[in-house]
Amino acid sequence: MSASLALDALTKTFDGADHAAVDAVSFSVAPGECLAILGPSGSGKSTVLRSIAGLDVPSSGRILVDGADVAGLAPERRGMAMVFQRPLLFPHLSVLDNVAFAATVAGQSKREARADATQFLELVQLAGFGSRPVTALSGGQEQRVALARALAARPRVLLLDEPFSALDPELRSDMHALLAAIRAQVAPTVVMVTHDRDEAAIVADRVALLKRGRLLQHDVVERLYTRPVSLDVSRLMGGRIELAGVVRDGVHESAIGRVAAPAGETWADGAGVLVVRQEAVQVAAAGASAPEGFVAVDVVVAERRARGPRAELALALTDQAADAPAGSVDGPRLTAEVPASRPLAIGERATALIPRSACTVVAG
Amino acid sequence: MLPIPGPGAAIARARPRASAARDRWMALAFVAPALLIAGFVVVGGIGMSVIQSVGLLPLVGEAEFSLDAYVANGDELLTGLALSLGIATASTVLSCVIGLAAAIIITQGRTTGRVVAALSALTIPIPHLVGAASIGLLIADSGLIPRLFGIPSAVWPDLVGGPWWVAVVLEYTWKESAFVALVVAGVLATRVARYDETAALLGASRARRLRHVVIPLATPAVIVSAIIIFVYTLGSYEVAWLLGRPYPEPLPVLAFRLFTSITLTSRPEAAAVAVVTTLVSLLVVAIGMAMLRRTPLWK
Repeated sequence: MSASLALDALTKTFDGADHAAVDAVSFSVAPGECLAILGPSGSGKSTVLRSIAGLDVPSSGRILVDGADVAGLAPERRGMAMVFQRPLLFPHLSVLDNVAFAATVAGQSKREARADATQFLELVQLAGFGSRPVTALSGGQEQRVALARALAARPRVLLLDEPFSALDPELRSDMHALLAAIRAQVAPTVVMVTHDRDEAAIVADRVALLKRGRLLQHDVVERLYTRPVSLDVSRLMGGRIELAGVVRDGVHESAIGRVAAPAGETWADGAGVLVVRQEAVQVAAAGASAPEGFVAVDVVVAERRARGPRAELALALTDQAADAPAGSVDGPRLTAEVPASRPLAIGERATALIPRSACTVVAG
Repeated sequence: MLPIPGPGAAIARARPRASAARDRWMALAFVAPALLIAGFVVVGGIGMSVIQSVGLLPLVGEAEFSLDAYVANGDELLTGLALSLGIATASTVLSCVIGLAAAIIITQGRTTGRVVAALSALTIPIPHLVGAASIGLLIADSGLIPRLFGIPSAVWPDLVGGPWWVAVVLEYTWKESAFVALVVAGVLATRVARYDETAALLGASRARRLRHVVIPLATPAVIVSAIIIFVYTLGSYEVAWLLGRPYPEPLPVLAFRLFTSITLTSRPEAAAVAVVTTLVSLLVVAIGMAMLRRTPLWK
């Protein structure tokens, strides 16, 4: 049930299109690993998944499963199973017969197929639902049955195409937990398409970030947040702080001053943009000194936006804001998130503490 | 203490109900003209036939209730009924099988599919009468095909006017299979394509997908098409009249002959044949709808 998967310069151009929907995308997925293909709408992520499944024929490039090229193999012979955004349960079959579908079409007797399906219904915590018609299920239950049906096919690679995006947040969390439990029990190789970076961070070991058909970065989730390789990656991962400057002798100089590369890393000399996650920025009282490994920047609160239990602050650098009314400052700004209960009002002075280890420099 | 709802709450509840009732009346008002015309034709036509068939609307003489018109041509009526049912059943089964196969070919999306779709679309606007005349010119013993292949009339089977009504069934099948193909292709392309992909990804071969997914999901559309075809071929006159043999006569041909007969008393007999045809059609529609309701997809 766990095979390795590798894409080698996969390219897909649709008939009549000016540019490739997927442009020379390469990555690999280890057996039992969960990879999230993340990207905005139109980034080509679903096309990558459909190409892996054999539903779309690539224009060029190779798809290797356990090292063997699957080009020319029909979808039913690739050993993949896919769960779509819509559950697509066969409406003429009961829940159990839906899960038993793969075994039935493989030639097993109905009794054997149903016995086999029962264990997968138990795996998705729907034991006892087998005799129900699929129309008697809720949205979350339907998606669980779709997952059980796909797993019962014992796919070499399980493909998930935004399977939880139509569910409400609570059901989504349940499905994330269920997927984690399934991974712990049967360790399938999973490739999941999503446009939700939080979901990718929760369920995936690694993320392949796509934009306009190109692979921007393929890395573990944490590094996509903390070590983006480009400004595009930083922005797509929700990074809000960008400070243009120059790197000289491994030290970045910008409006916030000089920031040296974290230990063990080197930044190439030349123009570069320092990026840092807003979640890493701490806000201390005005005049606070920087602890070891932090850069202290005097700031004034320029904007405050509610984010549920948190508040997002736009912080203008004090030397720029000195003569300007609050909220009217142009130029580089910092962003920080604080608990909503912290009484930091617009116009209030403070000190932003930026951990050096959270900083990285990318090309502008 | 629980708050007591004041009159305002009752008004707020009553308003949507009143609005819903008004919407229903508006909808009925919009559909009423079409409903009246259709009702006038269907109920009026059937009603007139029933009244005429039981002797309450004679062309000459006193109006008197009688079932004589139903027994006057008893043998011909039964033979005609069996013949009409045979032609309708054969045409419906062949049209559905060929139409379903054509629909599957159309939805494959390849060149053959496009050709089949174009042929089906071209077939629809051609009237049955023109189709019947063409079939006659093509496959009669003196027709184009035997001449093309140099087959003598004596050897060529009696397809037109023969004992098996082959030309009639062939004409209906040609035209109605195109109808089935387009109706079912629409369903397959819009509703079944994603299920087909899902089944393929679960390891189902093309044949297995056809058996376990495509045909079950296309069944309601096929049943609806079959009802329409059966009722149409049961009541259609011109094709059987043009390509069939003079005797025995299918029900519509018998009804038309009696209706245009110079014997004035045969008008109620024609109405009786029409009423029998209508009853059989209604029975077939009822059976078809019951079958449709039994399909899991309908539920």
